[in-house]
Amino acid sequence: MPPTRSTRRIILSAVCCALVLAGAGCRDSSEAPGEPTAPATVYRHAMDGAPRSLDPAQASSVYAKMLAVNLFDTLYRYKYLARPYELAPNLAEDMPQVSADGLIYTIRIRPGVRFIDDAAFPEGQGREVRAQDFVYSIKRHFDPSMRAQGAWLWQGRIVGLDDWKASGSDYDAEVPGLRALDDHTIQIQLISPFPQLTHTLAQGFAAIVPREAVERYGPEFAVRPVGSGPYRLTRFDSAGAVLERNPSFRALPFNLEAEGYDPTRQGELGLERLEGAIPPFTDRIEVEFIAEDAARWNAFIAGETDFIKAPVTQFDRILQERDPPQLLPELAARYRLAANLESGFVHTDFNMDDPRIGYHHDADQRARNTALRCAIIKAFDWQRRNEVFYYGIGRVFPGIIPPSAAEFDAAADRQWVTRDLDAARDLLRDAGWHAGNLPVLEYGFPASVTERQMFEQFRSFMGDIGYPAEKIRPLTFATYGDYARAYLNREVMLTTTGWTMDYPDTENTMQLFYGPNASPGSNSANYDDPEFNRLYRAAAVMQPSPMRTALYRNMNRIVLDDCVTISGIARTLILLWDRDLVMLPDRSFVGGFFFRFVGSDRQESAAGAAAER
Amino acid sequence: MSARRRAWNRLRQDRGGVLGLVIVGAFLIAAVGVWLGAWGQDWAIADGGRWQPPGRDYWFGTNVLGQDVFERALYSVRTAFEIGVVVAVLATALGAVLGAVAGWYSDTWVDGGILWLKGVLDSIPFYLFVAAVAYALQGQAWAMHFAMVATFWTGTGRLVRAEVLKLKSREFVLAARVIGLPGPLILARHVLPNCSHILLVQATLAFVAAIKTEVVLSFLGLGVQDGVSWGLMLAESTQEVLAGQFANFLSASIMLFVLLTGFNLLADAMQDAMDPKQAAL
Amino acid sequence: MRFALLKLLHGILLVLGVTLVSFVLMVWFGPDQTYTLIGKNATTEQIAEVRRELGYDRPFVGRYIDYLVDLATLDLGASNASGEPVARLLARTVPVSLALMLPGFVLGNLLGIALGLAAAARRGRLGDRLISGFSVAGMSISFLVIIILLQVLLSTPYGLDLFPVRGWQVDGPASYAYYVTVPTLSLIFVTLGYNTRFYRAVFIEEAGKDHITTARAFGASQATILWKHVLKNSMVPIMTRVLFSIPLVVISGSLLIETYFGIPGVGRVTFDAITNGDQPVLKAVVGLTAVAFVILQVLAELSYRALDPRLRT
Repeated sequence: MPPTRSTRRIILSAVCCALVLAGAGCRDSSEAPGEPTAPATVYRHAMDGAPRSLDPAQASSVYAKMLAVNLFDTLYRYKYLARPYELAPNLAEDMPQVSADGLIYTIRIRPGVRFIDDAAFPEGQGREVRAQDFVYSIKRHFDPSMRAQGAWLWQGRIVGLDDWKASGSDYDAEVPGLRALDDHTIQIQLISPFPQLTHTLAQGFAAIVPREAVERYGPEFAVRPVGSGPYRLTRFDSAGAVLERNPSFRALPFNLEAEGYDPTRQGELGLERLEGAIPPFTDRIEVEFIAEDAARWNAFIAGETDFIKAPVTQFDRILQERDPPQLLPELAARYRLAANLESGFVHTDFNMDDPRIGYHHDADQRARNTALRCAIIKAFDWQRRNEVFYYGIGRVFPGIIPPSAAEFDAAADRQWVTRDLDAARDLLRDAGWHAGNLPVLEYGFPASVTERQMFEQFRSFMGDIGYPAEKIRPLTFATYGDYARAYLNREVMLTTTGWTMDYPDTENTMQLFYGPNASPGSNSANYDDPEFNRLYRAAAVMQPSPMRTALYRNMNRIVLDDCVTISGIARTLILLWDRDLVMLPDRSFVGGFFFRFVGSDRQESAAGAAAER
Repeated sequence: MSARRRAWNRLRQDRGGVLGLVIVGAFLIAAVGVWLGAWGQDWAIADGGRWQPPGRDYWFGTNVLGQDVFERALYSVRTAFEIGVVVAVLATALGAVLGAVAGWYSDTWVDGGILWLKGVLDSIPFYLFVAAVAYALQGQAWAMHFAMVATFWTGTGRLVRAEVLKLKSREFVLAARVIGLPGPLILARHVLPNCSHILLVQATLAFVAAIKTEVVLSFLGLGVQDGVSWGLMLAESTQEVLAGQFANFLSASIMLFVLLTGFNLLADAMQDAMDPKQAAL
Repeated sequence: MRFALLKLLHGILLVLGVTLVSFVLMVWFGPDQTYTLIGKNATTEQIAEVRRELGYDRPFVGRYIDYLVDLATLDLGASNASGEPVARLLARTVPVSLALMLPGFVLGNLLGIALGLAAAARRGRLGDRLISGFSVAGMSISFLVIIILLQVLLSTPYGLDLFPVRGWQVDGPASYAYYVTVPTLSLIFVTLGYNTRFYRAVFIEEAGKDHITTARAFGASQATILWKHVLKNSMVPIMTRVLFSIPLVVISGSLLIETYFGIPGVGRVTFDAITNGDQPVLKAVVGLTAVAFVILQVLAELSYRALDPRLRT
C-alpha cells in the first residue's frame, strides 16, 4: 500500500518537523544565563512600545531613547532623583565651560572610558572613547545617508555644521564650530547663544558611537549597537531586548546627594542602602515591548515583569485615592507607586492655514473663523475628557506652558479650559454661524481605539452647541506615519498630538507655535503671529530669568486669545514596580538613565525563577 | 421552475435551514429599521456614565465614553449588512462573470488569463492582501469592500467555470449555439441562470466571510472608518476585557455569532436543498 | 518533460503576477516611510533627502525591475526600519512562526479528519448532526472573539490563569508548551469548524463512489471501509488542502495571533512592515511566499500523480 505508507511518512515527518522547528524557534542557548558565577540580578522592564532602531542617531522615540542611553554614553544626563530635573555630567568630567558671550562651550571628557569589545575594533578590543567620537556622532546627524533624526537640535546653531552638510558631509573635513581640541577636550562654537545646548547633549541623539563600528556594520549598526554605556545588548527583536552589564563600565560610586536625593519625599524607597555602591547595580535587564495595555498589565500582575506604566483602564481597579494617587492596600503590599507628571501635553490644533477654520484673506471671515474656533474651545469639556481618558488625574491647564515646566503659571486664568456652553453659543450666534452654514470639520487621527473614542467624544461635545454630527468627520489614517504625512502637508483641519518635551525648558513648547516652524516643522497649527514670533526670538537667546518667564507667559496669552489650539492636558503616569526593587523609575527626562540605578533585594528569588523556567 | 419549488420545499423541511432563515430575517428587520431611522440612531450620543452596568436606560450598559452599548450593537447590524450585502453581491457577480467567461472560452488565452489572475490572487496571503489594499486605498470609504471583493470572487469563479464547462455540452446550450445566438447572450440567458444555486450559496458564504473579515480589519485599524461596527466594538473590548468590562465584548460577539450561525445554517440547508446530487446520496 | 516545462512557465508567470500585484499595492501605493524617518522640525529639503535615500523618487519600472532582480538573486537587503538584514530577520522569525503555528495546524487538521470521518460514518444520524452543528458553530465565531475569549479564560484571573497572557520566551519543551498552548487552541478552534466540514464532505463524496459500494457489498467491515478505502482514496483532496494552506496559515494566521500575543514571528513582522512601510521586508515576504506557493503547487501536482494512479497518463 504505497499511499498509506507515504501518508504515514508525511505525518511522521510533520511531527519531526514540529519538534525540530520548536527547537529552532527557541532562543540561542548561548544567551541563556550560562555563566556559573554568582546568581545574576535581573530587572524586567515593560515598555508600551518598541524602538525601531537602537542607533542613537535614530533615537527619536521615548523607547529608543530609553535603550540608547544605556548602550551608549552621553556627555550629560539628568540627575537620578532631583526634581525639577537637573543636568549632571555623565561622560563629561564637569559641566561645560561657557565663554562670557555664551558662544563657546568647552567640555572635558573622562579619560580611560572604553567602548565594549567588538569585532569592529582591532583584535576585537574596545578602544578608548575620544573627543573625536563625539564630533563624529554629531556630524552623523548632518549626513543624509545615515537617516539620522536629530539634526533639528543643532541646525543653524553650530558654526560651519550646516555648511559641512551642504558640501557633501565629508567626515574628514573639519567643522570650525565642532572640534576636538585633543583626545579629551571638545569645543563647540555657536552662531548665536543657545542656552539649551547642554540639554541637547543629554539626548539619546547626542550619544557617542565609534566610527569603526558604524562603517563596518552599515545599516545593521541599528541592531548591533557598539557603545560605552553601562549595558551591552545581547538580544533584540520585536518582542523585547536583553541588556547585560558592561563589565568595563567606569566605576563611579553612587552618591545620593549628587543625584539630588530628597529624604522627605524619597525616604521610603530604601535608596540609602545603595550609597557608595557602583552602578550599574543590576546584571541583566530584560525589556519587554508590550504595546497592548491589557497584555502588559496581565504580564505585570502575573509577575512576568517588574515594572509597568499602568494602563488608564486599570486605574479604577488599582487606585484607592486619586489625589495623590494611592494603591489599594493589597496591591500596595506588593508594589510601589510613583505618579509621574508627563513632561509635555496633549492638544488639538486648528490648522490656521485652512481658510475654512483659520486665516482668511477677508478680514470679516477671519474674525468669524476666530469666533468659531473660540466657540469650539469653549464647548470642549476638559473635565469629562480628563475623567474618561485619564481617570481624572491628568492636569488640565490653559495654553502651551505645561505644569511640569518651571515657567508654568498655576494662577493663570482658566477660562479657556472651562466649559461654557452659553458663551460658545453666543460666540457662534454673534458671528452669524448656524447649523446650516457651519463648515465641515475634518478631525484627523490614526485609527486606534483610543483615538477613535476621543474623536467620538469630541463630536458629542460639539453636538451640545448644535454642531451637526454629520459635519464633524473622521479623517483616519492606518498609521501614525500617514497621519504625520497628512498634517505635515497641512491636509488636516484638526490635529491632535501629544508633545513630549525634549528637555526641561519651555522654549521647547514655545517653538511649537513659532511661525517659521510651520509644517513640515513642528508648528502643526501653522500659527504665524508677528508679535508671538518677535517675543520668541527675544526669549530664545535668554538664560532662564523672571524676565524670560514673563515673556513666555505673555506668548502663552497670545496663543490663547487667538484660539489656535484646544489645550491642554498633561497626563499623570502611574508607574508601578515590585517592592523588592530599590529604584525610582521615570518616563521623563531621566528616562533610561535610571536603569543603571535599579537595585534589587532578591538575588536568590530571581535566580530561582530563572531556574524554574 | 419545479426544481426550484422542490428545493424550497426541501429547505422548509430542514430545521436548521428554517432556524437560519428566521435568524437572518430577524437581523434583516433590525438592519432595515436602523436604515429607516426607526431605532439604533443614538449610537453616537455620549450621555451616560463611564462603563455603567446594564439597566433600564442602557440595556447592555455603557462604554467608556458613556455611549449606549445596545444602541451601538444595534446600529452595527446595519453596518454588517451593508458590508455583507455589498461584498457578497459584487464578489459573486464578479465571480459569476469571470467564471462563466473562463468556462465558455475554456482553453483559450481568455481562460488562461482569468486562471492566472485567480492564481495570483490566491497566492498572496489573504489578510496581507486585504490589509495592503485597504491600506493603499485608505481614506476611501470603500477600500475595505474593494479589498474583499477582489479576493472573494475566486471561489465562485472556480465553481461557475466548472459548471459552465458541464453545461456547455448540454443540449439546450448546443441548440442555442446552432441557431447562431452570440456567446454572451447564451451565457446570460441560458447558462448563468442554471448556476443560480451555486451563486446563492456562494453569496451567503461571501456574506459570512465579509463580516468576519471586517472584524479583523477593524481590529487592525483598517476597517470601518466612520460609524460603528461589531469589529470596532471588539477592538474596543480588547482594551476592556482584562479590566473586567465585558459589555462591548459580549454584545458584539454574541450578535456576531448568532447572525453568522444563521447564515451558515442557511447556506448549509440551501446547499443540501439545491444540490440534486447531494440530495440523492 | 513537456508537462514539467509547462508547469515551470506557469510558475514563472504566476510569480511575475504576484510580485507585480504586491509591488503595486504594497510598494507603489503602499505606506510611505518618509514621515516616520524625518526628525522634528524637518524642512522640505530634509524630506526630499529622506525620500531620495529611500529611493522613492525613482520611476516605477526601475524599482520593479530592481525588485525582481533582488528576488532572483535572493539579495533581500536590509530592513528600512531597523537596518537588520532581511535574510537574518526571516531566519529569526520564520522558525518562531512555524513553531507557533505547526501544532495548531497539525492538530486542527488531524482532529478535522477524525471528526469528518466520524460524521461521515454516521451520516444523517445524531452523531453526524452533532458534529455538523458543532462545525457550523465553529465557523460562526470570529477569530478575534476566540482569541479574546481563550485569553480571558486561560490566562487571566477571570478564568483559570494557567498560561501567560502573551510573549514567547521559549528555551525548552516546558516553556514551549507554556507559551504555545493558548495560540494553538485558538488556531484549532478557528480552523476546526472549516476542516471538519471540508473533510466530512470529502469522505461522504468518496463513500458514495462505486468501488466503496462494491466493497460494502462484498461485506467489508465499516472500519475497513473507512480506513482502507475512504481515507486512502481521499488523500488527494486532503493533501491539497494541507499543502495549500501552509504558506497562508503561516503568514495570515500568524498575523493576528502574533499581533495579539506579542510573538516575534514573521506574521507580526510583516504586519509591522505594512504599517511602517518597511518595503524591503514586505517585498521579501510577499515575493518568497509567492515562490513558495508556486513550488507547492508544482509539488502538489506531482504528488497527485504519485498518490492517484488514475491521474497518471
